[in-house]
Amino acid sequence: MELSDGAVVRRVLDGDVELFGVLVERYREKFGRYAISLVGDGDAAADAMQDAFIRAYDSLDRCREPDRFGSWFFRILTNQCHDTRDRLRAHADLSAIDAASREQTDADVERGELSAIITEALDELTAEQREAFVMKHVDGRSYDEMAELTGTGVDALKMRVHRARDSLRAKLEERL
Amino acid sequence: MIGTRSLLLLLLLAVAPHGLVGQQPELVEQMRTRGLPESLVAEVAQVAADATAQGLPADPLVEKAIEGWAKRVPADRIMGAIQQFRIRLQEARQALTGTGHAEPLGPVVAAAAEAMARGLGQEQVGAVVDAAPTPGAAGRGLKVAAALAAQGIGTDQAVGIVVRAMRRGQADTDLLDLPSVANAMRAQGMAPGQIGQRLMQGAGSAGGPGVGPGQGGRPHGVPPGGPPDLPPGQTKKQP
Amino acid sequence: MSTRRRFSSGAHRYLDGGPHGDLPAEERRDADRLLDGLRAYGNGIEAPGPALTDAVMAVVRQRPARRQTAGWRWLFRPQPIRLRPVWVPLAAAAAVATWLVARPPAPDVAPTAARVDTVFVRFQLVAPNAQTVAVAGSFSDWRADAFTMARENGGVWSITLPLPVGEHQYQFVIDGERWVPDPHSHDQIDDGFGGTNSVLVVGPRGVVQS
Repeated sequence: MELSDGAVVRRVLDGDVELFGVLVERYREKFGRYAISLVGDGDAAADAMQDAFIRAYDSLDRCREPDRFGSWFFRILTNQCHDTRDRLRAHADLSAIDAASREQTDADVERGELSAIITEALDELTAEQREAFVMKHVDGRSYDEMAELTGTGVDALKMRVHRARDSLRAKLEERL
Repeated sequence: MIGTRSLLLLLLLAVAPHGLVGQQPELVEQMRTRGLPESLVAEVAQVAADATAQGLPADPLVEKAIEGWAKRVPADRIMGAIQQFRIRLQEARQALTGTGHAEPLGPVVAAAAEAMARGLGQEQVGAVVDAAPTPGAAGRGLKVAAALAAQGIGTDQAVGIVVRAMRRGQADTDLLDLPSVANAMRAQGMAPGQIGQRLMQGAGSAGGPGVGPGQGGRPHGVPPGGPPDLPPGQTKKQP
Repeated sequence: MSTRRRFSSGAHRYLDGGPHGDLPAEERRDADRLLDGLRAYGNGIEAPGPALTDAVMAVVRQRPARRQTAGWRWLFRPQPIRLRPVWVPLAAAAAVATWLVARPPAPDVAPTAARVDTVFVRFQLVAPNAQTVAVAGSFSDWRADAFTMARENGGVWSITLPLPVGEHQYQFVIDGERWVPDPHSHDQIDDGFGGTNSVLVVGPRGVVQS
C-alpha cells in the first residue's frame, strides 16, 4: 500500500525522518530529467536537485498543503535550477561543460550534434519558455498537468511552448 | 451649443435600438447617471464603439470621460483626451501583438497603455506579460512595474523585480505590496538604487532557513535565499 | 522576430501529438526534424540515480530533531496586517523587515480565482484655509462629493477608506471646485486634461508608512 504525499509529509513532520526518502525517490524520478534540461548539465542538475530536496525538508512545516507537495517542491526545484544555471553561465561556457559531461561513442556523435543544437537553442529561450517546453517535450506532460504543477494558465503555457518551438525551428534551420 | 455632428449622433442614439446603445448600454447609462450631457454621451459612445471594434477596451475611455466631466473640463477637451487615449490603447495593443500576444485582453491592453505612458518601453511590457502566469497577473505586474519606476527605480530594474517576483510564485495580490514597501524604504532614507537592490533580493527569498524558532541550518554550498512560497504562521494543519 | 516563420496552429497540434493532417511538406519536415532532435536530446538524459537519495538522506538525518510546531509558533512570527482600521504606523524598518521575512500566506499553487482583498487607506491633506476638502478618484467614479474629509487640528484634513487592492488614481477637491493632486505622493500621472492624478498601488498589506 503506497502512502500519499500528504501522508508522508505529515509523518515526517511528526518525526519519522526516514520517510522523507520516499518523497525523494518519487520526485527524483518524476522531475529529474526536467532538472537536467533546465540546468543544461547533468552534474550541476543533480546538485541543484539535492539542494532543493534539502531546502524542502528544512521548510517542510511551511508547506501549506501537504497533499500538493509535488507542486510546492516543483517550484522550489525550478528556482534552484534557474539559480544554478545562471551561476554556471556566469562562470563557464555552457556548451563546453555539456559536451564534456556526455560520454561520446562513435554512434553518438551524429545524434550528439542534434542534441547539442537543441541544448544551444534551449539556452536562447526565456526561463518560462524553457520550463514549459521541457515539461511538454522532455517529460511529455499534458497542458492540464503542467497547469496543475506550475499554477500558470493553460493559455499562457501554450503560448510559451509555441514560441519555444518557433525558436527551435529557426535554430535548427540555421544550423542544419 | 450643439453642433451638426452631435445632433446627428443624438438622433442616432434616440432612434437606433441596435448600434451604439445596443452594444454598450451600461456604459451609456453610466455616463448619463454621472450627468454627462446627451451630446457628449453620444460622442463618447461612438469612440467606445470604434474602440471595441478594434479589439480595444472601452471601459477606460468611458471612465476617462466621466473623470473629465467631474473635473468640469469642457466637452471638446474631453473628446480630445478620449481620442488621444484611444490612440495610446491602439499603440499598446500593437506593442503586445508585436511581442507575440495574439489576442490581448482588454484589461491587459489598458494596463500596458498606462505602463507605456509611465515610461515602460515595448520590450519591457512584453517581458512582464511573458513572465505572467495569468492575464490578471500581467495587469498587476505592469501596474507594479510602473509604480516602482515612479519611485525612481529604473524601468529595467523595476521590470526585473516584477518578473523575478512572478517567477517565484508571487503573481497574485502580494505583488501589489511592492510599491508600498518601496515607498516605506524611501521614507527611511534609502536611495532608489538601494531600494531596487533590496527588492530584487527580497522578491525572491521570503525568509530562509533559520528564521524564527526554525530548524535546519544551511548545508554547505547552498546559496542564500529560501524556498519561494513559504507562508510562515497561519498553518491550518496540525502536524 | 516578425521575419521568423511561425509554425501554424495545425503544426502545433501535430507537435502536440495530433495527426499531421494537411500540413505543407516544408512545415511537416521542420516539425519532424524538431521531433527527431528532441528524441535524440531526450535519449541522452537520464534522471539522477538513487545515489541522489542517499546523499539527501545523509544530510537530512543530521538535522536536529524537529520540534512540535502546533500552538506556540505564532507568538514568534510577525503577523500579516489586514483590515486594520487605520494604517499601522510601523517604523519603516520594521515594516520592511516584516515584509521581507514574513510574507502573508501565498495562495495555492493551483490556478484559482484571485482573492479579493480590501484594505483601509488613509488620505490626508494639510489645507488650513479650506472650508471643505474631499477625495475623489477612480474608486468613487470621480464624484467630488462622495468622500468628504474631516478636519483636525492644525488644518489637517483626513479620511480613511476601505479600498480594493490594486491601483487607484485620485485627487483632492478643495471647496468643491479646486482639484489638486496629493503633494505627498511620489507617483503622479498626467490626467489627459492638463492636470495630474496621484497614483496609489496598494496590496493586501495596505499602505506601509513611517
